[in-house]
Amino acid sequence: MKTASTCLVVHDADMLQVEEKDELYRMLELEAKGHDAAVLKSYEWFVTTAAREFDIKIGKCWALRKPVFNRMTLLKSVHIYKKHRVQYEIRTHYRFMQFHQLTGSTADTFLEYVQRNLPEGIGLKVTRVLARSLPSHLVPPS
Amino acid sequence: MLEGHPRHPHREDHHQVTYLLKAHCTYECGEHVLVPMPNCIKFITIKRDEEFRVLDLRKKKVQATKRRKLEKGAALQPRANQMPVDQDWSNVWPGPRSFHPASVPLPVRQGYPKKREAPPGKFGNAELMKIPNFLHLTPPAIKKHCQALKRFCTAWPQGLDQDKQEKLFPMNVITSDYCHSSPTIRDPMARIVTLKIKLKDLMLDKHANDKFLRLVGDRYNPDTDVVTIMTDRCPLRQQNYDFAMYILTALYHESWNVEAWEKEKGEVDMEYYDWDASASQSSIMKMLSWPESKETQLDLDNMPHVLEYRNAVSAIFNEGEDDYTLHKYKQSVKKLVNLHEDQLPTAAEQKL
Repeated sequence: MKTASTCLVVHDADMLQVEEKDELYRMLELEAKGHDAAVLKSYEWFVTTAAREFDIKIGKCWALRKPVFNRMTLLKSVHIYKKHRVQYEIRTHYRFMQFHQLTGSTADTFLEYVQRNLPEGIGLKVTRVLARSLPSHLVPPS
Repeated sequence: MLEGHPRHPHREDHHQVTYLLKAHCTYECGEHVLVPMPNCIKFITIKRDEEFRVLDLRKKKVQATKRRKLEKGAALQPRANQMPVDQDWSNVWPGPRSFHPASVPLPVRQGYPKKREAPPGKFGNAELMKIPNFLHLTPPAIKKHCQALKRFCTAWPQGLDQDKQEKLFPMNVITSDYCHSSPTIRDPMARIVTLKIKLKDLMLDKHANDKFLRLVGDRYNPDTDVVTIMTDRCPLRQQNYDFAMYILTALYHESWNVEAWEKEKGEVDMEYYDWDASASQSSIMKMLSWPESKETQLDLDNMPHVLEYRNAVSAIFNEGEDDYTLHKYKQSVKKLVNLHEDQLPTAAEQKL
């Protein structure tokens, strides 16, 4: 006699625990650029404070002494008057911060926190230096 | 109009009769007469014993009825004046926000001051509103955020110092991420992958090392012994990384391969001076094995001064001729042929 029974079937094969190995970052470099040096300075303070809270080793933090100027000399008038020009310039200030010896999870958490609080008008470039072991197939031929 | 006239303007009981044109009907009620006005709901009472009303067409100054002014509630004090000193600031300013002067209990001033005046105050200050502020990122707020996020962080493995790192993880993979205030999160520069590895960490023998350097060319830096492989030809970072690994594998295995034509390399093709396979070595052998005409296999390393001579000759060819190398060569030759300083001929003797 068939009895209809309800039972909870757990498919162990579907719930495989994939253990991802945590990456190791030798160095993390943040390059912030913007038009206002004061905002960059405050942002650096915020990033270094957050790094200290996360127990991240802070490396060298520096800024270029002068901004990078992008100058354009254009004609002042719509038609002729070549001798009369007008000059425009765009100033970009830079700030660099380096952090050493981070794990993958720490780096991702720290970077996400720092990027979410990026102020308006600041651009960020993050350079990661991953430490990887030599591939196992690079062995001399027997 | 005489003053006694009923519609004289100075009479006290004068009624406004501008609306009155024609009475349709009259109702007698005692002394008063109710007269309905055309196009008008009003009825005006006219005293029966009044005299004839005269129409006055002169415009009178009509006092406009004053509109009741909207009674605005008294303006509240700025919130900043009632803020307790021990409040939790992160509750007042939880996230990034444009500067709001009434909510910030600070006497901030910003802008170019007028003559003999202080810089403009915070109320109605566009400069303060334009600049991004960090009021949501005060030290206690940062602490709070970091405490909440700490559970997602992992500690650096203990004992993994610089030397061990370089030994266990010799390969460096460098990538860049870009975060700009733009509608898209993509940046084409983010696809670039750079691989850096020290040549001494790769297991290569002498021939393989030489071949590897020839294949790699400019990408090797002899000062730091680092080989740099940069890939950007693929559109995605993962693809570029795989391509870089493929390049490294191909280079490695190719440098171990010995082609048939490599055996045909002669002394002319040598890129460095090898003393062991040179005419200088054979002549020294001959000299030291004299008077035997045959060159016997001598243990040159144990012979006095031969090593020094060998190094001096190699230096002249490999590093170039300069005072130092030539001086070294002179010294080594003198030692080899057992000449002392005072045994050298003088200039006068040489002339003869």
